[in-house]
Amino acid sequence: MSLYLWFALMLAVSVLWLVWFLYRPLQTNNLNLEKSNIALGKQKQAELEQDLQSDLIDKQIFEQAKDEIAQTLSVEITQTNRVINNNQQNTTIGLAVLIAVFFCVISVLMYQALSSHSIIAHTHKSLTLEESIAKIKRRVTEQPDDKKAWRMLGLAWFKAGENKHSLAAYERAYQLDKKNVGLLVEYASTLAITQGYQFTGRVSDLVREALEIDANSPDALHLAGWIAVNAQQFDLAQKLWQKTLSVLPSGSIEKAQLQRRLAELSQIQTSVNALTTDEVKQKYQVKVEITLSERLRQAQYQNHYLMVYVKATQGRSMPIAIQKMKLKDFEGVVILTDEHSTMPSKTLSQSSKVLAVARLSQSGAAMRQADDIEVVSQPIDIKDNPTIKLKL
Amino acid sequence: MLPEIGHFALILSLMVAVLQVLLPSVGMWRGSLVLIQLTKPLAWMQFFWIAVSFALLMNAFLLDDFSVKYVASNSNTNLPDMFKVSAVWGAHEGSLLLWALILSAWTLAVSVFSKRLPSEVLNHVLIMLGLISIGFLLFLLLTSNPFERLDIVPTQGRELNPLLQDFGLIIHPPMLYMGYVGMAIPFAFVLSSLIRGQLDSTWLRWSRPWALVAWAFLTFGIVLGSWWAYYELGWGGWWFWDPVENASFMPWLVATTLVHSLSVSEKRGAFKHWTVLLAISGFSLSLLGTFLVRSGILTSIHSFASDPARGLFILIFLMIVVGGSLALYIWRANLMHSSNQFSPLSRESGLLINNVLLVAATLSVFLGTLYPLFLDSLNLGKISVGAPYFDAVFIPIMVIAVLVMAIGGFLRWKKDQATRLVDATMHTAFVAITVALITYLLVDNVAVVLAVFLFVWVLLHSLLLLAQRVIKKSKMSGAFLGMVLAHIGIAVFLLGATITTQYGVEKDIKMTPNETVEIKDYAFTFRGVESLIGANYAGHRGTLEVVHQGNKIATLRPEKRQYTTGMPMTEAAIDPSFYRDIYVALGEDLSNGAWSLRLYYKPFVRWIWLGGILITLGALLAAFDKRYRLRIKR
Repeated sequence: MSLYLWFALMLAVSVLWLVWFLYRPLQTNNLNLEKSNIALGKQKQAELEQDLQSDLIDKQIFEQAKDEIAQTLSVEITQTNRVINNNQQNTTIGLAVLIAVFFCVISVLMYQALSSHSIIAHTHKSLTLEESIAKIKRRVTEQPDDKKAWRMLGLAWFKAGENKHSLAAYERAYQLDKKNVGLLVEYASTLAITQGYQFTGRVSDLVREALEIDANSPDALHLAGWIAVNAQQFDLAQKLWQKTLSVLPSGSIEKAQLQRRLAELSQIQTSVNALTTDEVKQKYQVKVEITLSERLRQAQYQNHYLMVYVKATQGRSMPIAIQKMKLKDFEGVVILTDEHSTMPSKTLSQSSKVLAVARLSQSGAAMRQADDIEVVSQPIDIKDNPTIKLKL
Repeated sequence: MLPEIGHFALILSLMVAVLQVLLPSVGMWRGSLVLIQLTKPLAWMQFFWIAVSFALLMNAFLLDDFSVKYVASNSNTNLPDMFKVSAVWGAHEGSLLLWALILSAWTLAVSVFSKRLPSEVLNHVLIMLGLISIGFLLFLLLTSNPFERLDIVPTQGRELNPLLQDFGLIIHPPMLYMGYVGMAIPFAFVLSSLIRGQLDSTWLRWSRPWALVAWAFLTFGIVLGSWWAYYELGWGGWWFWDPVENASFMPWLVATTLVHSLSVSEKRGAFKHWTVLLAISGFSLSLLGTFLVRSGILTSIHSFASDPARGLFILIFLMIVVGGSLALYIWRANLMHSSNQFSPLSRESGLLINNVLLVAATLSVFLGTLYPLFLDSLNLGKISVGAPYFDAVFIPIMVIAVLVMAIGGFLRWKKDQATRLVDATMHTAFVAITVALITYLLVDNVAVVLAVFLFVWVLLHSLLLLAQRVIKKSKMSGAFLGMVLAHIGIAVFLLGATITTQYGVEKDIKMTPNETVEIKDYAFTFRGVESLIGANYAGHRGTLEVVHQGNKIATLRPEKRQYTTGMPMTEAAIDPSFYRDIYVALGEDLSNGAWSLRLYYKPFVRWIWLGGILITLGALLAAFDKRYRLRIKR
């Protein structure tokens, strides 16, 4: 059955339902507000007597409360408005037709307005890729300045493996709409893929143009990172992807993927650096030197827990990296590295501005307790591999 | 074709909602009973078309119809069928459709189960619910169409957020939404009463069971969310004061206040101002929660949508709802006057103190949640309001509320005597103080001593109330038993939350195979890690043996998964019991067979959710009280 018929059927069912109840209206339950309030008033009086039995009201106050219920009821009865005349009225055919026509016409018009295509477009089954290409080609023939259609054609040709046609279509879309960041990035990535993942030449020009228009476009930044990787500029790639991470919504799949990619990039960097220098370059770390007061050096504190951690300067107070030890095991200095990160998706090296915290706790609980002693540093930048001195 | 039918069904449901408001209103104006009596059939038809729409979206997920943008964005062929079903409400558009479906289901329930409500009142209530429905359906159709097609169909979809691929997600959002949307029912009752100018016993008596059922769902939804966060997020926490958690907690606090305020209003005709304002605030806070989550203002696992247009729509809707209902309240304020007097020491005063404290608690959460957003929006800097603020402000208010709650049940209506109250509660107070003192000598932890005192205080008073009724052979209504159960639930929750916070042990450590670590008399031996391949993920599964007092009590297998989309996930392994949980989460591979592990000992943690379940059962027991089955002569 075609979509047309389905829609007609749905409208018919709705209209029949409506008309049925217009001609055979549901009976009221013959309860009016006055009867209801009187019945409830009686119920409240019965409950009051139960309250008396349960010793929930004083005997002397009981009569007063009873009077109040009666008074409330009398006020409610005077408030009761005019009740609709219960005389059944016949429904005229005109009214039923008016409602049915209004319902059908507005429903169809609304569908037409809200749906990106007309009803006719959906009366056929979903189009195959070839059919889509043919349809978009017809569209660009009829309207050669339809930039959206040219872009869609570029994508469709690419999906079909027709790279040459795809790039031509993208070029046409680009000529028509040079300020569209999404198009620039899509064109650049298609170009890069078709030339065997080479990100040089036109690809980097397009990405640069995109970033000139919107310096915070996550797609453009991401692609710029790939260009940097391609040029073996790993530090630059890392910075670009870090910036991409900062503009991607938290918890998004793209963010998680990029974090994994950044971790891979760090590994690549480490291996490259290991090959080029004898000294293995370390990831970022924070060195925290803690001086204990005389009081805390006493024996009674030796079994307390010392927690040394860094946390973001803004947002959640959850540690990024933490070391926890008994005070008796503490040797004066704690070095926090990626190994101490609490979440794989947010390692120490991936962070920038942080606060270093040292907390002495009797219970060792994660949440700060009232009797905990805590000291917090000024904001520090992880990238400086800072050394912080704290005094507890 | 089916998605287009689903889309059209949604449009039909909007049109039906419009008729549900329009035709009976015209009928009331023209005195036509035929048009007025259309409210019920139109409410049923609205539910039918939204259900059709929802079923067709679910069908698109089950058939992997990636021509639908929403399906392609949130599901793929590797996703197990169970999660394809839950993926329907795993993101913005679908969860809004679920919201609309639940609202129409509530409307259907009101139309079917309100046989004792006069038709003229019921019709007004259904019109109000139709109006709310119009708002949400317009929101769906104009900004969040779940049936939007893609021009070029991908061969594979993306992935449902792995955090959401869990049994907890299948039931947590629907339950929470049942609570959120359920707050629309007392709100609709209040609006219809304000419009009719009849703030009478009928409105008060018949809106209370609906408020109780909504409160029960809200409680259960929050409990499920807390339980899910505990085992799924891998941190072992059960409440984080996350703004999105707070967004559901604020309506819960107001709903708690509302059910108490309604009990005074329906029995004694007092507190009508309170009741009206609480019903309005309860639903407004539900809408505010939606606004905060859906607008993208809040960034968390709950914020699927970062679309300012959607946020703006809800903000305007919120302003219309709040502004309109407050205007009605001001217009009808003169009808809420009550001449019923009560003394400072009375059951009414006790409930009033309870109301004031709960509202103060709500305001403290409101301030802590919205103030940072307010500052940020005015570019006045970013501040982080977290647990220390809520611990310092919220908890003291609730301690007083719990103290008052326990003795509230002993107070008499209208007037009581201090000497009688002291006589009635003296022995229980003595026992509670004695137990607290013994606890103090044993544990030397003020928070735990206070929690034990409050637990015994509430438990003994609740049991004493029960015993008194048994001895006097007084009638025990569902409302009374529900109150006792819910109060015990609060006590159980309070004890569990305090002990697990104070005595929980957390250890983040590096372990090599066959290494043993001891926590609180439990020896954890790490037996190594094996590879793991699931339907849409690969990863590692660790094995840890737990020995307690020489007996092996559990073998725990925490998992670290890497989903095909690249998102890593931790699946904690838990050995649960009534008095403690042993919780293990696998961290990172630290090479040479060593892994980082999180080991937790969580005493009494299950009591937190047990308390929540007792509150839920108490609310349901009260909602199905016999007095709500009153027969009225026709």
